[in-house]
Amino acid sequence: MKVPLSWLREYARFDATTEQLMHALSISSAEVNGVERLGVPGDISLFKVGVVLEAEKHPNADRLQLTKVDVGEAKPYQIVCGAWNFGVGAKVAVALPGATLPNGLTLERRKLRGEVSEGMILAEDEVDLGSDHDGIMVLDDALTPGTPLADVLPLVEEVLDIEATGNRPDLLSVYGIAREVAALFDGELVPLDATEPAHTGDEPVDVRVEDEDGCPRYVGRLFRDVSVGESPIWLKARLRFAGVRAISNVVDVTNYVMLALGSPLHVFDFETLHGGRIVVRRAKKGEELRTLDGAVRKLDRSDLLIADGERAIALAGVMGGEETEVSETTSSVLLEAANFEPISLLRTSERLALRTEGSNRWEKGVDPHLAGPAATMATRLIVELAGARWTGHADVQATLPEPSVIQLRPERTSAVLGLEVPAGDQSAILAKLGFEQSNAGFRVPTWRARDVTREIDLVEEVARFKMEEIPFTLPQRDAMFGRLTRWQRLRRLVEDVLTGCGFSEAYTSTFVAEGDLRLPEPLSLEAAALRTSLIGSLVDAARHNVSVGTAEVALFEIARTYHTGRELPDERWHVAGIVDGGFADAKWAVEQLYTALKVHPAYERTSEPHLHPGKSASTAEGWVGELHPSLLEGQWGAFELDLDALVAAAPEAVEFEEVSSYPEVRQDLAFVVDDAVPAAELLAALREAAGPELRSAAVFDEYRGEQTGAGKRSLAFRVAFGSPERTLTDDEATELRGRIVQALADRFGAVLRA
Amino acid sequence: MEWDPETYERDAVAALERASTSEEVESVSVSFLGRRSYLKQALREVRDRETGMRLNAMREAIEGAVAEKLAKVQADELARKLAEERLDVTLPAELLGPVRLRRRGSLHPSTQVRRDVEDIFLGLGYEIVDGREVETTRYNFDALGFPDWHPSRSPRATLYLGDDTVLRTETSPAQIHKMESTRPPIYIISIGRVYRRDTIDATHFPVFHQFEGLAIDKGITMADLKGTLLYVMRQLYGPEREVRFRTHYFPFTEPSMEPDVSCFVCGGAGCPVCKHSGWIEMGGSGMVDPYLYEFVGWGPEEYTGFAFGMGIERTAQLRYGIPGIRPFWDNDLRFLRQF
Repeated sequence: MKVPLSWLREYARFDATTEQLMHALSISSAEVNGVERLGVPGDISLFKVGVVLEAEKHPNADRLQLTKVDVGEAKPYQIVCGAWNFGVGAKVAVALPGATLPNGLTLERRKLRGEVSEGMILAEDEVDLGSDHDGIMVLDDALTPGTPLADVLPLVEEVLDIEATGNRPDLLSVYGIAREVAALFDGELVPLDATEPAHTGDEPVDVRVEDEDGCPRYVGRLFRDVSVGESPIWLKARLRFAGVRAISNVVDVTNYVMLALGSPLHVFDFETLHGGRIVVRRAKKGEELRTLDGAVRKLDRSDLLIADGERAIALAGVMGGEETEVSETTSSVLLEAANFEPISLLRTSERLALRTEGSNRWEKGVDPHLAGPAATMATRLIVELAGARWTGHADVQATLPEPSVIQLRPERTSAVLGLEVPAGDQSAILAKLGFEQSNAGFRVPTWRARDVTREIDLVEEVARFKMEEIPFTLPQRDAMFGRLTRWQRLRRLVEDVLTGCGFSEAYTSTFVAEGDLRLPEPLSLEAAALRTSLIGSLVDAARHNVSVGTAEVALFEIARTYHTGRELPDERWHVAGIVDGGFADAKWAVEQLYTALKVHPAYERTSEPHLHPGKSASTAEGWVGELHPSLLEGQWGAFELDLDALVAAAPEAVEFEEVSSYPEVRQDLAFVVDDAVPAAELLAALREAAGPELRSAAVFDEYRGEQTGAGKRSLAFRVAFGSPERTLTDDEATELRGRIVQALADRFGAVLRA
Repeated sequence: MEWDPETYERDAVAALERASTSEEVESVSVSFLGRRSYLKQALREVRDRETGMRLNAMREAIEGAVAEKLAKVQADELARKLAEERLDVTLPAELLGPVRLRRRGSLHPSTQVRRDVEDIFLGLGYEIVDGREVETTRYNFDALGFPDWHPSRSPRATLYLGDDTVLRTETSPAQIHKMESTRPPIYIISIGRVYRRDTIDATHFPVFHQFEGLAIDKGITMADLKGTLLYVMRQLYGPEREVRFRTHYFPFTEPSMEPDVSCFVCGGAGCPVCKHSGWIEMGGSGMVDPYLYEFVGWGPEEYTGFAFGMGIERTAQLRYGIPGIRPFWDNDLRFLRQF
C-alpha cells in the first residue's frame, strides 16, 4: 500500500524522520519496500499564490495570453500563459524564475514570441498533482497573493510503499498505519472526526440482507441533488500519490475513505436500482452480471451478490456492475458501507481471477465496526464536495462478535522472548495498540479480532515492539548429538566417487511425460508425471551439452524416483550417470562405486529397450550399459542404481584379516573357451575349485584370433596362492593349479593354453 | 511387368514385403516410384484431373509403405549389428574397451551449499532429516496450521497427486513426523526438494530445495533463534555479517519474523542485490506455534522451540552471484564445472 506521509501525519502526531519511520515500521509492523519522493524537487519557496492583475491576448500569438501576476512582491511578474480558463482577479499557482518543476525543467526569464515571461502559471500535471493539462489551476479566492504555494497545495510528498502481511488488514489503511506509528514513536493518534452532516429529509432506504453470514453489516445511505464532477485538487493529489486514479468526486470519495480507513465502499446510481431496493443474497443458478470492467461474469451459487429488486447489480466486495455505475448524469446516489465475510469472497475473486483493491481487503477480514465511521467520513465528503443532500439512512446488522478478552502472563512473554520485559512495559505497548486492560485481561480491539485470539498472539505484539532489544544467544543444551546418518555419509561417498571418476553432478526435474504417478493437473505435456527413473532426464541433459558443443560430457544425479506404493507412493533414491565414450567408461565408474561401498556385484547380461542389447549388464541394484544408439547420437555409457538398495548392501563394518607374512605364489593361466561362457562364471568356478589357498584371482586379458578358433576366445587369469601359516611349496601350487584346470575343463570345456 | 493401374499398388506392397535389406527396399522404390517406373510415366502422360489425383494418391501410398518398410528394415539391421557387437559384460571395465582418463568432475552448487549447511548444523549438534516428498495434506497443511481457505492449499499453488496427497510445499512435514516419533530435545534440519505450481521463468521453477530448522527444548527463546541464525549466516556469508529480524506472519510460527542479512555485496551502502536497502531477505522464521505441540499430543507449554526455513538455490545464488534459477536446472557443464 502506498502511503503519502502528509496524509499519515494528519492522523498521527509523532516525532521521527522518514528513515526512522521506515525502519521502525519494517522491523515491527510491516515491511517498507521503499520511499518515493514526489513533487517539486528543489526550492519550494519559488512557488507562490498569485493574483492575476492583467490578462490579454499575446500581441504576437493567438493562442497565448500575456498576464501580469501579483505574487505579493513590489512589482508584478509578466507571465506568458497558454491557458484561457481564468481571467483578471483569479488566484493562481505561480512558479517563479529559478524554480525547478518535477519533470526537471528549471524556469528562466526568457522571451516568448517577443515578450518577456517571468515564470509560469501552473497546471496540475506540472507539479505532479494530477493529469489535467486542459487549463491552469484556479485556486480558492480567499487566498492572499504571496502565500507560499506549499501551504496550499502538496507540492512535495514522500510516499511509503508498505507491504502488510496477510494477517494485518488493519494496515491496509492510512489510519491503521497511523495507529501503529503513534504506538511505535509514543506519539498521538488523532481521533476520527465522528460528526455527521445534517439529514435533510427522511427517505426510507430499503436494504434487505438475506445472508447475514456473508454480510453481517450493511449501511446504506441515500443522497439527492448530487453533482457529479471533478474532485478538488487536494483529493486528486492524495489519490494520485496513493496510486489510485481519480474518476469523479463521488467515486473518488469511496476510494479515499477505503484508503483512509481500510473499509471499501461502493456507490450506486440510485435511479437505476429497480424498486429502489438493495438485496444482499447469493447468486441464483445461471445468473450473470456485467461488471464495471465490461466483462460479463457467469455467477456461481456461492457468490455473494448485491441485487436490486430484480437483478444482480454488484459482486459484493469485489466489483460493481456496469448498469448501476455512477456517471456524470447521476443525481441520486446510494452509498454502501458494508462488511463482507472473507472466505466466500476470496473464493469468488479467485474463481473469476478478479482481484481489486476492495477484494484484497475483504479477503483478509475487514473490521465490521469500520462500516460506521467509513459511512460517516464518506457522507461528510459527498455532502461537501458534491453539494449533495443526505436524505436517507439504513443500517442492517447481525450480531457482531464480542471482542475477546485474553489473559497475558508477563513472565510468559519474557520466557518466549528471552528478554525480561517488565509487566508495565508490556501493558503500555498493548494499550498503545488499542488493547484495553482490565482485571479479566486484555480486550482485543475490533480491528485485530481475527489475528489476536490467544495469549501467544499478545506475546507477539510485545515481541515485535521489542524485536531489536532481544539479544543473540544460543540454546543451552545438556547433550549434543549432531551426526550424519549412515545413509547420508554414504551418499556423500557416492557423490565423491563419481566426481572422482570425472562425472559432474546434474539436478534434473522430478517431472517427466510418463510415470506411475500422474499429476491430475499436469504442469505441461513433458511434466505430467513423477519419474520412475533418472536416466531419461540425464539423456536430455547430455543432449543439451552436446548441442552447445561441450566435449567430454559426463553427468550424474542422485535423486528420488516415485513408484506406486500402498498408501503413499514408494519413493526410492537412485544414482544414475551418463558418459560419452561407451560401456567401458560407465562400467568403470560403477565398479569404482561398488568398490567404495565394499559391495561385490554380480553382473549379468540384461536387455532393456533403452540399452545396447550386447552391451548391458544388470546387478542386484540396477544396470549399467551402453545407451541404445537410437536415443542419442554417438556412443554413450550409462547406469542407474537404486541407492537405497546399494546402501543396504554395503557392509556396516569392515572385516579385517591379518596380512600374511608368507610370500604368495603368482601364476597366469590362459584358457580357450566357448565365447558364450561369461568370464564371471569361469572366475567363480576357479575360486570354488582352488579353495581357501587362492588369495586373489582376476581376469587380465581377453583374446580372439586364429589360434582360438571361431566361436571361442582366450581368457587369461592372474591368480595368487598363499597361506597365512606357511609358504606354499611348488608342488602344492602345481596341485592347486591342476584343480583349477580340471574344473574349468570339466564344467566349460576350457582348454589351458600352453 | 505390364502397367496395370489396378494391381500396381498391390504389387508394390508385395515386393516390399519380400524385401529384407535396405538395399532391396531401395530397389523396390526405384522400380515402382523411380523416374522410369510405370507410375512416373503414367503421371507424365496424365491429362485429366481425376486420373491425376488417383495416381498421386497411389504414389503417396507407395511412398508411405516404402518409408515404413525402410524404417523397419533399418531397425532390424541395427539390431543385428548391435547383436554382433556383443561383449562379455562380466569382464572388468578395462577389458571392455578403452576407459578414458577424465578430469575430476564437480558437485552441483546446490549440493555444495547443502553440505555446508549440513556441516554448520552438525557443528551445532543438529541431526539432518529429509522425510518424503509426496505428503498428505494432513502433514503438509493441517499440521502446520494452514486454515482451510489458505491460498497455498489451492491447486493453483500446490501440486496435488490426489484429493489429499500433494508434493510437499515445504520440508516441514518431515519435522512433524520427527516430533511424532520422539520427544524433545529435538534439534533437526530438514533439507530436500519442495514443489510449487510455478510457471518456469528466469526466477521460478516448480522444484526447488529448502533447508528448514527446528529446535524444541525446555526454555528455547526468540533470543536463541536470533543467535542461531546470526551464527549460521556468518558461517554462510562471512564473519562480518549482521542479522536483523523483521516481524512477519506464517501459519506455523508465533511470533514470526523474517531474518535479513547485511548485504555482502555493498556492505550496507545499497546495491541492486539488496534492492538498495543494505539488507537481503533470507527466508522465514519464528517460534513454534503452540498449536503444533497440541497436534502431536504434547502440552502446549511443556516446551518452546523455534523454526526457520531458507532456500538452497537462493543461498547458492547469493554466495556465488548467480542470476536467476535456470542455471541450476539446465545442467550446462560450462556452468557446473566452475564449482
